[in-house]
Amino acid sequence: MRCERCGVELTNKIIKINDVPYCENCARIMGYGKFLRSPEEMLGSAFSPFDEIASSIMQMNELDFGNSALSCPKCGMMLRDFERKGRLGCIECYNTFNDYIVKEMFKQQGESTYGGRMPGQTAELNNIEKDAKPESKIEAKSDAPDEKASEKEEAKEGASEAEPQKEETGDLKTLALEKLAKLEKADLGMLSDEDLQTAIKLAADNEDYILASKLRDELKGRKEGN
Amino acid sequence: MKMWYEREGADEDVVLSTKACLVRNVKGYNFPSKMDEKDAKSLLAKVDSVMDKNAFSGGLATDVVNKGEAEALMKAQISGRDGSLLYSPDKKAIYYNEDYGLSVAVGNSEHITIKAQAPGHDIGVYRVAEKVAVDLEKKLDIAYSEKHGFLTSSVKLTGTGLRILYTVAIPAIAKTEGGIAALRQRVGQYEWNIYPFADQGELNESGVYIIASVSTLGVSEDETLERGEMLIRDVIKAERACREQFATKKKTQMKDLYGRAYGLLRFATLMSRREALDAVCWLRLYRDYDDSSEFECKWKMLNTITQEVCWEQQRRGEINTQTSQKKRAERIRKILKGVD
Repeated sequence: MRCERCGVELTNKIIKINDVPYCENCARIMGYGKFLRSPEEMLGSAFSPFDEIASSIMQMNELDFGNSALSCPKCGMMLRDFERKGRLGCIECYNTFNDYIVKEMFKQQGESTYGGRMPGQTAELNNIEKDAKPESKIEAKSDAPDEKASEKEEAKEGASEAEPQKEETGDLKTLALEKLAKLEKADLGMLSDEDLQTAIKLAADNEDYILASKLRDELKGRKEGN
Repeated sequence: MKMWYEREGADEDVVLSTKACLVRNVKGYNFPSKMDEKDAKSLLAKVDSVMDKNAFSGGLATDVVNKGEAEALMKAQISGRDGSLLYSPDKKAIYYNEDYGLSVAVGNSEHITIKAQAPGHDIGVYRVAEKVAVDLEKKLDIAYSEKHGFLTSSVKLTGTGLRILYTVAIPAIAKTEGGIAALRQRVGQYEWNIYPFADQGELNESGVYIIASVSTLGVSEDETLERGEMLIRDVIKAERACREQFATKKKTQMKDLYGRAYGLLRFATLMSRREALDAVCWLRLYRDYDDSSEFECKWKMLNTITQEVCWEQQRRGEINTQTSQKKRAERIRKILKGVD
């Protein structure tokens, strides 16, 4: 079993809040720390524990069931069901439980805003398709072979026409500088070793020695297992 | 027609398959968990009316099951490992193409789940799934908000509704001390996730892992694919390097295990799932270093065995009986003989 918030494997101590498992650390971050004291701590001083236990139970109840009775007017989904199962009942739930949903999105992905394509439009795959155009072999039945062959021929013709043009018009220096500017901002941890090596060469060729040494350090660090 | 996973693919020594899953919901209907029977039937009819019948077979899940397609859907990794897509078949529909590499499930945990699968390393699956999604988005009123993107029943999918999954066979990393922990850390840096095909039970040491995208918000499809491609290239490289270490440092043992594993798979009469996958692991580790050329052992064969054993339909009362073990051994012998 893993912590729903940070994903760490739960071994000894599993804390369930609304039936969702968390690790002790995350439970504390989420503000449940005061409920996580050990029995020794709770029962340390004579007589006071009973009051503390009683007030803790009251607060627990408030936390668990305070707003959990909130329900969606369209599908009848209760907030507590969403908290427990992580699933919504209908589109209207997005309005009803908006605050909780946004919190959940942050908890799961650290984001709540959309960054993808619009409905009915294809995604722009600049980063993927500029390197190598992926062509899957999956075919739907309706794909007529003739159509495909002619498409391929067109693509081939297009490619052969485009190549010399690129050579003539492409300003390699500008392209290299653009790449270097991108590299400076890039999270180096996201680059493969191969990419790093290529980047080092590119930086050195363009006399950007500061960047080259930064990249070399990253690569060296990886090789040394840092 | 062969199943999609029986074809050859790129980097197939490490990557068994690449999958792209896109989920969409239709406005005007509750999500499946809160949908009544009348709405469920209306949704199925609505989606059916816009599905391209020239491209897809299938239809109502009840009819698909009655046609005896359940086993094929399981093998093709469409109906889920537990066959959950076929539970309550009267409320669901399944459409699939000839080699089962492209499928559309209606009424499962989301209204529409589009799945494109290809053998080996092939990120082109995204475009294939997207083509179907765009077509449906044009014909149906899809639940979408500018703020959160495509609205889904599970908040984990809200946004792009996209999951990219690479199924990888990485026995060398798994057998290297600290290998999986290091890989897990690397995968985490890309904000992706890695988990074993099975945590426990017969298949827990299969060396098969799934590497899956996590983020659907705050990232574009392009960024998701780019991260996945960078990550999978790293995984392929690391696995190959680990295999080389094994093959060079423990050559005699590896050669011995390779021969024994081949013999077991090629000639055994009874075979458990664990035995089969364990043997395939040893073949994977040494296959590229075997210079004897005594065995006919193509990657395509190993991948077919792995995928068929992993996604085998487990009928109640039939798990690891002599009959199921015999049937499995026969099928593996056939694959290695190159009969199919």
